[in-house]
Amino acid sequence: MAESVKNAAAEITDAGIVGGAAKLTPEKIEKVINNVLKAEGGARLKTYVDICAHCGLCSEACHFYLSHDNDPKFSPAGKVKQTVWEIIKKKGRVDVEFIKRASEIASTECNLCRRCVMYCPFGIDIAYLLLTVRRICHKLGITPQYIQDTAHSHSATANQMWVKEDEWIDSLMWQEDEARAEIPDLRIPLEKEGADIFYSVIGPEPKFRAQLIYQAAVIMHVAGMNWTMPATPGWDNSDMCMFTGDFEMMARLKKIHFESAARLKVKKIVMGECGHAFRSVHDVGNRALSWKMPPIPVIHAIEFYYELIRDGKIKIAKKFDKPVTFHDPCNTVRGRGLHEMGRYVANATCETLIEMHPNREHNYCCGAGGGVINCGPPYKMSRIDGDKIKAEQLAAVKAKGAQTIIAPCHNCHGGLEDLIHHHKLDMNIKFLGDIIYETMEKPE
Amino acid sequence: MHDIYDFVSGPMVWVSLIIFAAGCIYRFISMALLAKEKDPFLYNYMSPYHALRSIFHWLTPFGSENMRKNPVFTIVAFSFHICVVIAPLFLFAHIILIKQSWNVSWWFISDTMADIMTLIVIASCVFFLIRRIVRPEVKFLTSASDYIILAMVAAPFITGFWTYHQFAGCRIMGIIHILSGEILLAAIPFTRLSHMIFFPISRGYIGSEFGAIRHAKDW
Amino acid sequence: MRKKTWVLCSVIVLSIIFLFVTAYSQDNIKYVQDPAFTKRMRPAAVFNHDEHNENASIDDCSTCHHFYKDKVKVENETSEDMKCSECHKIDKDPVPLINKYHLRCKGCHEQEKAGPLMCSECHVK
Repeated sequence: MAESVKNAAAEITDAGIVGGAAKLTPEKIEKVINNVLKAEGGARLKTYVDICAHCGLCSEACHFYLSHDNDPKFSPAGKVKQTVWEIIKKKGRVDVEFIKRASEIASTECNLCRRCVMYCPFGIDIAYLLLTVRRICHKLGITPQYIQDTAHSHSATANQMWVKEDEWIDSLMWQEDEARAEIPDLRIPLEKEGADIFYSVIGPEPKFRAQLIYQAAVIMHVAGMNWTMPATPGWDNSDMCMFTGDFEMMARLKKIHFESAARLKVKKIVMGECGHAFRSVHDVGNRALSWKMPPIPVIHAIEFYYELIRDGKIKIAKKFDKPVTFHDPCNTVRGRGLHEMGRYVANATCETLIEMHPNREHNYCCGAGGGVINCGPPYKMSRIDGDKIKAEQLAAVKAKGAQTIIAPCHNCHGGLEDLIHHHKLDMNIKFLGDIIYETMEKPE
Repeated sequence: MHDIYDFVSGPMVWVSLIIFAAGCIYRFISMALLAKEKDPFLYNYMSPYHALRSIFHWLTPFGSENMRKNPVFTIVAFSFHICVVIAPLFLFAHIILIKQSWNVSWWFISDTMADIMTLIVIASCVFFLIRRIVRPEVKFLTSASDYIILAMVAAPFITGFWTYHQFAGCRIMGIIHILSGEILLAAIPFTRLSHMIFFPISRGYIGSEFGAIRHAKDW
Repeated sequence: MRKKTWVLCSVIVLSIIFLFVTAYSQDNIKYVQDPAFTKRMRPAAVFNHDEHNENASIDDCSTCHHFYKDKVKVENETSEDMKCSECHKIDKDPVPLINKYHLRCKGCHEQEKAGPLMCSECHVK
């Protein structure tokens, strides 16, 4: 194995990994690994490594494994073997080449989608094990460069995309302006204390997809919601630090987010259609702040839209007439079981919903999540090659007539777009918000 | 022969039972304390309902998606685990020996049944061995210890079968049978076989996370 | 032809005599077999009564064929004419009686450090 690790490590060109590795010594690696294992690797890590029966039953859960023609190096336990087992067996005495490759495996060959967790008979949280590897790599400073850059942005600006405070406010006012051309009395209420809803989005929304804020404002307005967005940092609910293993920064980000909501004395936080941000706010980041559950109720857009339609706050004028299929993002399905609500909204707004297979909790990952797409161009092709199975799944549902994929998650959009483009599938992808905006009754 | 038999069927039984029981308790308590110290949240997130729900699904044959995807493995794994526990615990000969030593006894299965179960265990071990060698994804994960553990599990059953049927050298086999059983018992808490202790906990915990926090199935 | 018939007849007669002798002779026990056991889990235990007692120098019949009255062993009284199961009754569960037999044989072998101990040594197939 050592030889193949050397070869694979030699091919790594990512500036973050190569640059970081240049500053490493075996002594430092050993020290950092043992610090992490000792200080953070508790009962879970130990038990998971102790009881794994090496049965390989997790393999078929992983899209990387399936997409690489069942290459065992890409199976979930295979990735754990190449990282965690080796580290523990050698008590941290691994070389620089090994740790370079470990960083690449953990950060770019696993989406932390937790599908394998559902396939392990013992319920071993394999995603947690690979996240621990990312944690070690973070502390060693060899995280892939592109995602590390977003983490830097988080620490400098409290948002993922280097958006400055005035740019954020400006983007909201711009979208409000645009929307008022359509609905003259629409507002995007900034800093409204005592509002019912604190609406938070991810950094890329104001940066690249500002129309999503426009659409959300229209939905909020038509549904008659008492809502607000903060004019200060804390508007961004996304969290790449959770995925680089920078847990201290993750906790700070969640603190800023929750405190902004608390400052505005809102009843609940509604989040835009993003998966990983939901994972961070609902499940992981709150824990880093010692909150068992989020201190303020957090609702994903899927659930929010479901409630609006169920309660008749939004009425559908004319259903979307092209056949759609529904892609369950890992973080809203394995992260919150929102699959039926998502389908409720899809069925309420679209004429035909064709299921892809597998679906719901068992859906294949988009290939982009878990920070993999954020590792940027150096890993774009390995990401696309690593999710061939998803393209096959999409092609099969396309053959049944589906033209549009509903994917209520930003990362999934990125991943699916690349797959569709690469495999020339000619399908389009929409958010639930896109469809609701298109099909809802709006004031004349 | 008397001295060897007395030794393996006397003090060695106690030694292996004590290592097994104390080992299990030690592993369990030390893990519980480590969790208390390092991952105290584990206790907060344990949800008995969701834990049991998950354990129930995974203890039901074909109760999970993965089991349905691998029907042969599921059948072998379930029969293996049922037989590996039932056969030795309810074997007539074992009941008699225990009655003799401690004057307690319980229900036993017929010898034919025990024979079938023993063959199932042995055949399962052969299946696991072949699977480990033939399937690339399993072979990749395999180290020497996996073969050793498999041999440790198979040994008491092979020698037990041998002894019962009085094949050549069955006296020596009988001694090896007792010894290998004791070794297996003592090894449980300290090897991957400790999944016997930790399965309900790891399964229950992930069931709680998936069920109570993430409102999703984990099977 | 005549010679053959004669041989055959003698063999049959001798066999019958042999069978009667072995069946009725208390002194020539080869197996321990108690009719109380309706279902046999193992072949009957091999036991050559005379040979065993000679080797083990057992003269006192009550060593095995003891007689108890009100839970007290009656000295000088023996029970050769009784089946063990007449006192050690089987009440559905055969295990207690099996256990008595094992304690009687194997218990003594263990104590004396002589004689067979393992299942297959007595219950020979």
